[in-house]
Amino acid sequence: MELIRAKNINYKYPINDGQSTLKNVNFSIQKGELYSIIGKNGAGKTTLCNVIRGFIPHFHRGELGGELLIEGKDIREWDMSDLASKIGFIFQNPFTQISGVKDTVFDEIAYGLENLGVEIDDIKKRVEQIIDLLGIGDLADKNPYELSGGQKQRVAFAAVIVMDPDILVIDEPTSQLDPKGTKDIFEIIKFLKEKGKTIILVEHKLELIAEHSDYVFVMDDGEIMLDGKVDEVLSMPKVLDYDAGLPQYALLGIEMNRKDPDFNQIPINKSQAELEINKWLQR
Amino acid sequence: MPNKGNFILNLYPSTKFMLPLFVTISIFLVPSYLFAYMMLPLCIAIALIAGVAKQFLNLIVKGLLLLVLFIFIIQSVIAPGEEIIWSWGIISIKEEGVMLSLTLTSRIVAIASAFLLFFRITSIRDISQALEKVGMSPKFSYAILATFQFIPEISKRSKVIMDAQKARGVETEGSLLTRTKAFVPVLGPLVLSSIANTEERAITLETRAFSTKGKKTSLHKLHKTKTDMSIQILVIIFIIFLAVGRVMIWN
Repeated sequence: MELIRAKNINYKYPINDGQSTLKNVNFSIQKGELYSIIGKNGAGKTTLCNVIRGFIPHFHRGELGGELLIEGKDIREWDMSDLASKIGFIFQNPFTQISGVKDTVFDEIAYGLENLGVEIDDIKKRVEQIIDLLGIGDLADKNPYELSGGQKQRVAFAAVIVMDPDILVIDEPTSQLDPKGTKDIFEIIKFLKEKGKTIILVEHKLELIAEHSDYVFVMDDGEIMLDGKVDEVLSMPKVLDYDAGLPQYALLGIEMNRKDPDFNQIPINKSQAELEINKWLQR
Repeated sequence: MPNKGNFILNLYPSTKFMLPLFVTISIFLVPSYLFAYMMLPLCIAIALIAGVAKQFLNLIVKGLLLLVLFIFIIQSVIAPGEEIIWSWGIISIKEEGVMLSLTLTSRIVAIASAFLLFFRITSIRDISQALEKVGMSPKFSYAILATFQFIPEISKRSKVIMDAQKARGVETEGSLLTRTKAFVPVLGPLVLSSIANTEERAITLETRAFSTKGKKTSLHKLHKTKTDMSIQILVIIFIIFLAVGRVMIWN
């Protein structure tokens, strides 16, 4: 089922110092799949996330051309408050992703539900559930300001997931985190995918993208240059032309293919790499 | 707030506000400075019941004592009068001056201690929630709450910026002049970074459905009890009684 459809999206920020514009962006997002967007800095990934979440045109000004349909309804016609419970949004800076009015993590996670006017008993139940699921019980009574970056980012995830959105837009969630924090976040993403959520993820850690996503978009200079199934896209040497990077396994495969054209299946993750190399060794 | 089982702490914010309200009005209705000075022991007694006496006394001693002494001395010396009690060279203390400063300082002590105690026993969260209940916009109460939560955060951030500027060779320690000079390179980034963060903060609030029009719920319920009502009514009656008494004596 198609959830989101973009037709010829063009966008330019009113104050254009970052150069992140969008040019002729077309794509389709199917329910329950995980889409990763890769590309170098300034390629327009975050801008695209802002369009999908409706911050463009509802929050940032500037002329938005083309159509972005969410469940068949144009983004301009969506109400911002309805979008809040429809599309969850998590971005890279863990330090600004707290409401700033709550004393404990428990209250912080409950904040979105309070704003939606959910019954108190229901809020408590849902918050407790999310805390259990994400394993952040030890943080529940702490002050959100006093957490580490990784803990804050997990709380930010909890605060959004608790509102139970169908779609999640996650913009570089791990860019400020250590390896442990990154692993925790990807555990959450994996769990969300298993729950059938539709996820749009911007990320630079290509090994993790290869492991978790279904589809990949490669962006450069405001355009989607390549898109397709993760296995297809991440094994294309062409991705490197856009400075988007490839997983280590694919780079190895491409190098081996250059030396020996018989090695023609480019692996993108560890298990595939082991398989292909063993096959090649036995030849 | 410490221990929620406490009788005083559990009162409704507007009930607690009866204290500064009563003190501020009554000390102008009852002209005696002795009465105004009695407000301090009253506040201390309430602080004792609420279990915040230590912090409260600390505030009084640190914040109020020096100020009051200073005002008392200056007023006694400067105020004009006839009855000279004590003099040394050109400096002389007059009876009128002493009386005036007693009245003035007694009022300052009474009002300041009542308000200090009020903010000791009432959390900003409760105040803003109570105000929201009587129709204040949630945006406004957000602004109040966020500001108070932000104060410790600002001081933490200013330390980070201070260290960063130190690493760049800005001198932040030493004489008063050096410290004043260091103020600008610390304050600039502090203000600018706070402004830069507001956009992301606004987006965060938007993701938490802040702008939803419908009715909001709140995990923390404030209850106005019968005790609250009776205390409020009693205090108001007492104020009216004092006002009437004052008018009668006048005539």
